[in-house]
Formats: sequence, C-alpha cells, structure tokens
Amino acid sequence: MTQQTWDELGGTLPSDQFRAASDAIVANIEEVIEGKTATVRLALAVLLAEGHLLIEDVPGVGKTKLAKALARSIDCSVRRIQFTPDLLPSDVTGVSVYNQETHDFEFKPGAVFANLVVGDEINRASPKTQSALLECMEERQVTVDGVTYELQTPFMVIATQNPIEMEGTYPLPEAQRDRFTARIAMGYPDPGAELAMLDVHGGRDPIHELRPVSDAATVRKLIATVRDVHVADAVKQYAVDLVTATRESPDLRLGASPRATLQLLRTARAVAALEGRDYVLPDDLQALAVPVLAHRVIPTADAQLARRTTDAIVSELVHRLALPHERQRSPYDTRPPSGDGTGRSQYEPRRR
Amino acid sequence: MRGRRHLGFVAAAATLLAAAPMSTIYDRWTWLVQCAVVVGLIAGAATLTRWWRAPVWAQGLSMVAALLLGLTWIFPSGQELVSLLPTPGTLTHFGSLLASSGEDMRSYGVPVQDLDSLLFITALGVGGVAIVVDLLTVGMRRPALAGLPMLAIYSVPVAVHVDSVSAVPFVIGAVGFLWLLAADNVDRVRHFGRRFTGDGRDVDVWEPSPLAAAGRRLAVIGVAVAVLLPLAVPGMTSGLLSQLGTGGGGEGNGRPGQGGSPGRVNLFAQLSGELNRSEQRDMVKVTTNDPDPFYLRFAVADDFGRTGFGPRSPEGAPVTQGLPDPRDMSREQNAGITRTQYQAEVEIVDFAMPFLPVYTAPVSTRNVDGNWRYDPTMQVLYSERASSRNKKYSFEFVRSEYTPAALAAAPQLAPEHAFRKLYTTVEPVREVEELVGRLTTGKRNDYDRVRAIYDHFSRKNGFSYALNTEGGTSGQDIVNFLTNKVGFCQQYAAAMTWLVREAGVPARVAFGFTSANRSSNTYTLTNNNLHAWTEVYFTGIGWVPFDPTPAASITGSWRSEWAPDPDAPEQSPTAPSASAGPTADPSAGAESPDGAERPLDEAFDGGAGIAPDSGPRWPLWVVAVAVLLVLLLTVPALRRVLLRRRRQVRAAAAASTLASVTADGDVPPGVARVVLSDSELARARADAHAAWDELVDTLVDFRVRVDPAETPRATADRLVREGLTAGTADEAVRLLGHAEERARYAREPLRHGPLADALRSVRRALSAGADRRTRLVAATLPPSVLYRWRLAAMDLSAGFVGFTGRFRDRLLRWSPRRVLANRPSR
Ligand SMILES: Nc1ncnc2c1ncn2[C@@H]1O[C@H](COP(=O)(O)OP(=O)(O)O)[C@@H](O)[C@H]1O
Ligand SMILES: [Mg+2]
Repeated sequence: MTQQTWDELGGTLPSDQFRAASDAIVANIEEVIEGKTATVRLALAVLLAEGHLLIEDVPGVGKTKLAKALARSIDCSVRRIQFTPDLLPSDVTGVSVYNQETHDFEFKPGAVFANLVVGDEINRASPKTQSALLECMEERQVTVDGVTYELQTPFMVIATQNPIEMEGTYPLPEAQRDRFTARIAMGYPDPGAELAMLDVHGGRDPIHELRPVSDAATVRKLIATVRDVHVADAVKQYAVDLVTATRESPDLRLGASPRATLQLLRTARAVAALEGRDYVLPDDLQALAVPVLAHRVIPTADAQLARRTTDAIVSELVHRLALPHERQRSPYDTRPPSGDGTGRSQYEPRRR
Repeated sequence: MRGRRHLGFVAAAATLLAAAPMSTIYDRWTWLVQCAVVVGLIAGAATLTRWWRAPVWAQGLSMVAALLLGLTWIFPSGQELVSLLPTPGTLTHFGSLLASSGEDMRSYGVPVQDLDSLLFITALGVGGVAIVVDLLTVGMRRPALAGLPMLAIYSVPVAVHVDSVSAVPFVIGAVGFLWLLAADNVDRVRHFGRRFTGDGRDVDVWEPSPLAAAGRRLAVIGVAVAVLLPLAVPGMTSGLLSQLGTGGGGEGNGRPGQGGSPGRVNLFAQLSGELNRSEQRDMVKVTTNDPDPFYLRFAVADDFGRTGFGPRSPEGAPVTQGLPDPRDMSREQNAGITRTQYQAEVEIVDFAMPFLPVYTAPVSTRNVDGNWRYDPTMQVLYSERASSRNKKYSFEFVRSEYTPAALAAAPQLAPEHAFRKLYTTVEPVREVEELVGRLTTGKRNDYDRVRAIYDHFSRKNGFSYALNTEGGTSGQDIVNFLTNKVGFCQQYAAAMTWLVREAGVPARVAFGFTSANRSSNTYTLTNNNLHAWTEVYFTGIGWVPFDPTPAASITGSWRSEWAPDPDAPEQSPTAPSASAGPTADPSAGAESPDGAERPLDEAFDGGAGIAPDSGPRWPLWVVAVAVLLVLLLTVPALRRVLLRRRRQVRAAAAASTLASVTADGDVPPGVARVVLSDSELARARADAHAAWDELVDTLVDFRVRVDPAETPRATADRLVREGLTAGTADEAVRLLGHAEERARYAREPLRHGPLADALRSVRRALSAGADRRTRLVAATLPPSVLYRWRLAAMDLSAGFVGFTGRFRDRLLRWSPRRVLANRPSR
C-alpha cells in the first residue's frame, strides 16, 4: 500500500472510542439532514478514507446543506467556494502578489487551504477553474509560480453539482471526476422524513445551532484507525475483479482506473470501520461499487442510446461477478439464466 | 431452384445405389435396368413438376403416375391403350403379378432367375422408395429420414438370405445415403451465401467447417456406443444381430424365406423337403464309439402354435462355459436308468443350420466356439450367428437308457409345474380327445398312457408309411392323419406328441438323423436319413425318446426296451428294421439287442434336473441388473450422507475443541484472551468453511437458488428474507453466514459457534419448506453431488479436448501440407 502520510496521523482508536466519535458526527449531521442516514454515513466514510466527495442531485434536496453540516460538525478550518462561471483558478488555489513593503512576492492562499473545502455548484465554473482543483485533490499540494505549498490533513473537498443535463453547466472533465472518491446522490427524503423536516426546519434553520462534535486531531486518529482495517487477499482480489469487469464490460467505453481500485478499497475500509468491523467484506465493496465507480466510467454510445445509466451498468456487474475462490469449493450457480442473454461469462474474471 | 433440382437427382441416384443389395438376390442384372428406368422416370416427373413450382402433393402424384407408366411399359399385359396407358386390365395383371410374386418368393431359392413377378415387385418397391426418398429429401428437406425407406430395401436380401451376404452392396447403398446427406448439407450451406475464412479467403463448399471436428467426435462416439452396447448388454445379441447373421435352412429346401435364427427355422418344411428330394446327398459324417448309437439329434419343435408345432427360441449359455452333465443332476430316481459315456466326431458335409447335430446329451465339446450355445432344456446346440456349414467338431455325450419299470415309477407331473403349460398345450380337437380318452382309460401312470398312445401307431391299427403325403402338423392335418393313417415320420412324431400332450404328459418333436451307412464306426448320413420322433418328459427322469414311425420303413430306425416296435413279434422287437431301406446297413440300426450294452451304469436323469432351473435364466439377470441399478442410484445419496457426516463431525469437533481451548485459557488467572496458534486458526477456518459448504450443498439439494456473486452475508439475508428458514432457523443461518465471512475475510475466524446445531436446524427448516418431490430428490439423488460430478466430467472432457487439440496442433506442425502450402498464417 503506497499511502503517503502528509503528517503524523496519531495513534489508532480502540473500537468503542471510534464508534463513539463517528456516531457523534453522524448524529450531529442528522440534526439538519432528515432521513438520509446512509448518505451521511457514506459522506463520513469518504472523509475517513481521505477522499473527496461529489454530491450530485437536482436542486433543493439538501446538497449544500449536507456539505455544510459535515464541515461544521468538525472543528477544523472550513472554506467554501461558490463556483460561478466567472470564478478564476487563482481564486481556488491562491495567488502571488507583489508586496510593496517587502519588495517581494507574497503568496495569498486560495480557498483550498483548509481542512474541509466545500465547492458548491462545481459544474457552474468553467473547466479552466475546475481544473485548478486537479493537483490539490490528488497530491494535496498547490503549486503557484513554481512554488509548491502543502495542504493540511485531513483535507477533503466536498463538491456539489447539478446533474449534467441541467442548463448552464460545464460537465466535469474525466480527470476531475476520477479524483472524487465517491459520488453520491441525495435523493428525495421519504414522506415521513419530509414531514419531520417541516416540523424541525419550519422556523429557523438548525444549521446555525450546529456545534462541532469533533476536531481535526480526532479525525486524524479516526483515519489512522481506518487504515488499520484488515483486508483479506480474497477481498483485494474481488476489488481487482470488480474494476477489471468494468474495463471488460461491453457496455462501457472507459473502465475504472487503478486509482478507483485504491479508493474503492480505502472507502470499504472506512465503511467497515464505521460498521464496527476490523475487516473488510466483499459486501462493502458491493455496496460501494456504484458510488465509487459509476461516475468514473463512460458508457458506450449503444448503452447511452439504450438509456442505461452507469449506475445501472455497474450494479449489474456487481450482481454478475462471482466471488473469488468460490468455484473450487462450491461450484454451484443455480441462478436462472439472465434475460438479456449476453452471457455471464464475459464478467467472469480471467484467471487460470 | 437449381440446388433443388440437383438434390432431386442425387436422391434418385442414392435410391438406385441403396438398391445395390438386391444384386445378391438376382442371378442377372435385368432388375437394375428396370429399376433405373423406373427411378429415372420418377426423377424426371419430379423435376418437371418442380420446374412448374407445383406443390409437394402434386409432385408426389406426378411421381406415382410416372411409376405407374414405367411399370406398365416394362410389364405390359397387352391390354394397354397405345401400349402405354394403363387400363383396368393392366391393374389386374399387376395384381396377379403381385400375388404370384408371393408364391414365387417362397418357391425359389436365391439367386433367382428373372421372373416377371419378382422383377415387378422389385421395380415397384424401388420405385416406391424413390418416391418417398424424393419427397423426404426435396419436398420436406429431411434427407436423414430418407434413410428409413432405403433401409427397407436393405432388409430384403437380409431376410431372404440364409447365410452371410457380401457386405459390398450394402456399403454401396450406404455411400448413396451419405452422398444424399452431404449434398443436402452443401445445398443448405449455399443458401447462406459463400463461405469465407477470417482473412477473407473463399472456402470451398466441400471443405469441412470447424464444427466438423465436433461432428466427427460425436460420430466416433456414436459408432463406438452402437458397437459396444449390444456386446455389453446380455441377451441383446439375439435381437438385431441374429437377423443379420446367418441362419439355418439348408439350401434348396424350396423355401428361401424361412431361414434365420434357431427359433424361426421351419423344421417340418425342411424335413419334408429333404426327404422328398429325388437325389440323395451326404449331409453329415459322424464317427462314434457308441456301438449302437441313437439318432443324431439337432433340433426340437416344442412350441404349439396355430400352424402346428414349431421351435421355441432356444436360450442358453455359450458352450465354452461348459455343458451340464446329466449325471450331476441325478436324483433319487436312478434305479432302472443306465447311462454310458461315449465320444463322437462330426463332420458336416452339406448341412447348413443354426444347430449342430449331437447325440443326446452332450457333456463336453471340442472345436465349437463361443458363438454356439446350449439350451439345456431343448438339449440343442444352437447359434444366433454361426451356421453349421462345413463345421468339424467332436463331443462327448452321455447316452441314457431306461427300463419300463423306471419310467412307470415316475410320478405324474405336478399340476403347477411350468412344463405343463409349456409342453402340454394343444388345440382341443374332439376326435383327438376321444381317441386319447379311449386309449388311456384304465392306465394308471404316465408311462402306460404314453405306451398306449405309442402302440396305437402300429400296422395292426392300419398305420402305414408314405412320404408323399401332406406334412402339416396343424389340428386338421393331424386329424386327417389319424383317419387316413398314412404318413411319414413328421406326422407320426407330431401326432404322437399331440396325443401325449392331450393325455397331459409333456411331449415335443425332436429332429435328427437316423444312423445309417455304417462303415466301421463312421456313419454317413444323407438327406434321406433325416428323421423326426417324439420325446416325452417324465418327472425326475427327463426327456425320453419314442419313435412312433413304423420301424420297417425307416433306415436305421432304433427301438428300445421302453418303446419296442409295436409291429414286431413279441420276442425279437428289433428284427424288422434290418430289412428297412435300400441303403440301410443291416448292422446299423435295430440289429443290436437293446439290453446288450446296458451294464450296471449309474442312473441317468436326462435333463430333469436341468430343466426347472435352467430354462428361465433371464430373471436372474434382471434381478442382478436391478440390484446393480439400485446400488448405482444410491451412490449419490451415499456420497452426500458421508459428506454431511464428515462435515457435521467437523463442525461439532470445532465447537468442542475451541471450547476446551477457551477453558484452558481461563485457567491461568489474568490471561484475558486466548491467542490461538496459526494451526488452530487454520482449523477454525476450515471448520467454518466445512459448515458453509454443507449449507450450500443443502441449498442446492433443496433447489434453493445459489448465487456465486452473493456473499455469505447476503445469502443468509436472502434466506431469511425469503422466509426459507421459516423463522426458526434465522439465527442459525445468520450464524453460519457470519462464521463463514469471518473465516474468509477477518483476521480471526469465529471461535465458538454451535455450527453443527445450526446446520441441522437450517436443514430441517429447508426440508420443512420444500415440497415432497424436492425432499425425495434431495434424499435419493442429491443435486449437489450430481452437479459436482457433472462439473468434474465436464472439466475432464474439456481437458481431454484441450489435450487432443494441442496434440493435433503439434501433429499439424509436421503436416507436409502445411509446410508446402505456404499460405499466410492467420
Ligand atoms: N433531507 C433534508 N433534510 C432537511 N432539510 C432538507 C432536506 N433536503 C432539503 N432540505 C432543505 O431544503 C433546502 C434546500 O437545501 P440546499 O442544500 O440548499 O439544496 P441544494 O444545495 O441541493 O440545492 C434547505 O433549506 C434544507 O433545509
Ligand atoms: Mg445548493
């Protein structure tokens, strides 16, 4: 595992403390976001997996709210960038300005110099500005005028965006999308949650009363604990099988990158830890396949014509792909033959 | 359309080729010319109608019309219009041809001369086949089915010929069929357009496709199965092979259609045919050290049917497995029975039958191969395949003789004895019943009854011998004989058999040669020595011969103490036969006194012991095969049970050892956690895996879906969700899933889980939820075991195919064609 530590993470936490800390954050966020436990936990998992989160959904379902609530729950530096068409890359990364007094260039850090960066409506900025995030998201550093500045840990970008089909948007380039660990959709709250929302949020917005329940140091410890989660060889194999399947699928023009494999496993660790386990299950990978992989792959023209979303394609892959090392022991496959007839064998991993 | 026309001609040609076996029947080739004309006309008619795009039925009609025209032209009756168009007169002529063809078929032996009737039926048959083949091939595009009518042609020479026929004409016919198939296939492929290889090279229509390899493999397997299966299955050789093989029916017996297997020979017809021959020919030479041999016997007619007596299909083991010795079977009934062992050597000169003539009862043979079998009840040596033609063999036999007292002492046949049904059934005829009633009143035992009947056929009662009588043995024939009292051996034998059976005593007709033309110890037996006599079954003794034919008229007739000649003066019962026929050897037959060489031999139980337990051998086979089948069927269930037991034991042991480990760990105070060693971890893992595998197998057995893409947790959840664990086993199945996922993915496996109990409760819940059929199948033929076996077999065959493929590739590398062709590699 080639994981670079940007600075000391601190020791790991025993499981009960981990649970207490993580549960506190989730509960805190849930005070403002009604009925979205799974989404909230996933967002937290991405934070603990040292990844970046892309929240994509139609307007008005609480994307900004979630991002803000997560940022507020942790006592760390938070910056917010509202992406607009006229936003400049230097607004994001920072700029060197000439200081008259010191007769020298002085670096004025941009919005990314924080633990949590909330990038709202990211696809409203021009691709040029979007690309300013490329280096910092992957390498956690900013290079301006030849000088490289390190970012802090934890560092997480939480971006929100409207679906691509909406008007006045610039779709994120593939390279940019690939840097987001997971893309989650908010979805409409169910009627009960919406009723509760009306009761609680009817008067004033509870986000203003939200107090941080954790700090950067605790989050670093949580991250260290997550890194310690055990991944069996079979699970690693399964992760590789999964991304290989996306690369070999006839429905996909572009499969998932090795970065996706890495982040898939990392997020799976975080999810396992949040569930109180110290080992990753293939179930975790299966649950994460769509949020982690679907936004990185590109369907073929045929699949697009057939209106098959990448979400559907990826989840179908998950349903088809056999677990590794199963065949020697229990070779059965008594599933009814699939309707579309495009044999399941093409999703079988190519192993001898 | 061009392809179809072409196919039509191929069909016609294939029909002609398939008719090639007819050449073995005919002396000359007229039939072929006529058939070619007929088939050509039919093909022409078919082509014409197809050209007009007539519907299939119209094509058929036109072909029938062409056949009619052709036949009219070839076999004119003289009443045609313009000497071509058939009239009612023509049809009557055809009818008479047909009728006489039936007659002629029976009366002419192969190879036959050009008889109009036979030629007519041949042309008609081949023409009919041509029509059917054409319709099947071109009209319905089912050329494979066309093989059936072609096979019909095949069957004609097979049925007619009594011994093996040259295979060449059959091969020609088969080639015709293959041609038809290939032509149709090429035509089919053409419909798709032209064939190309991957690199765009045009492929010749005759070049096999890659699929051909699979086809070849299938064909090889099919042929192997077809050849091996009949060999492997006992008793199957008596089916098809016996039909194809040679049969009996000495040639020139005037009934060429009567050959075939031992059970089908018309013995009476052949007997009368041979006896009525004007010229005499040597058939068998036999040399024996028996100074006064009884008849050389070869066949038995023991089955009573509508047309009289006929042979049953014999059943028995190959002679190479040894013959039953009547001495071994002797019971308490041995007083008054003498038996002597002799030896004899037989050289067949001109006698073709599916039987080998022997003296009764043979106990060992030499130079008789495993094709020959011995029916211990019929006491005949027979073969389904081979013919006695030109055989030379020797055998030892046990000759038995009986005193009248011994026969008289034999008990009556038990009413429920199998022989009663087999050997005492006759058609009820009033005259016969009256006669038997009259003859046997006051007789107290079987022997007396049989003797009364036997003595009835005497000169005193007006019986005389004449060869030129009708030889039938049906009810009316026998009544005629009993009233006319003139006949020859087969009527005497059949009549006596009939009467004895009527009297309730088992009896049958035996066939053989009388002993004649003696020179030293060798007898040369001719067609005139063929003979038939009666054999009567006495309980505990066996089959005892009685020869009711007037001894004076039979060369070499042999009379015994228990059946003396009723015509002879009381004192010397054997004298008259000396003056028998012109070729009679005075010393051969009855000259020697009956009691002469009858010293203190042991008793002979002529087959009585054999009969009851040797006749029906097949039930044993059936039982054995059934037992084997049942055993085979239980193998999967057994395997499943063993597997389950092993895994259960594992799971149970796992729980206990782990418990003990924890207990041990608890002993030293302060040790909070027991650290298991690697091997213990591995064992705990394996135990959890075993439990899970067992669960999966159970699921498969109860036809619950098993999804290789599902994790243990998801599987357990699904089972609970779908209610398959019926609530009671929810916990158990979750535990199993948890144990398995821990074993697979966690640092440490689950360490104490009552996995065995969990397994049991899940199995119970699944079984309760399944329907009865599923439960039954799960218990008897567990799908999990079958599935695994099937997979293993598939892997094996895949491996084999891969291996042969590699092997062939390696060979191909050295193929000269490849070296020379120098075409761009793909
Ligand atoms: N699941 C939810 N729980 C609580 N409030 C919600 C939820 N979804 C939407 N809202 C409310 O809807 C409003 C719009 O939310 P916002 O985050 O600004 O939407 P977006 O950024 O997706 O356009 C907010 O006032 C928020 O309180
Ligand atoms: Mg918003």
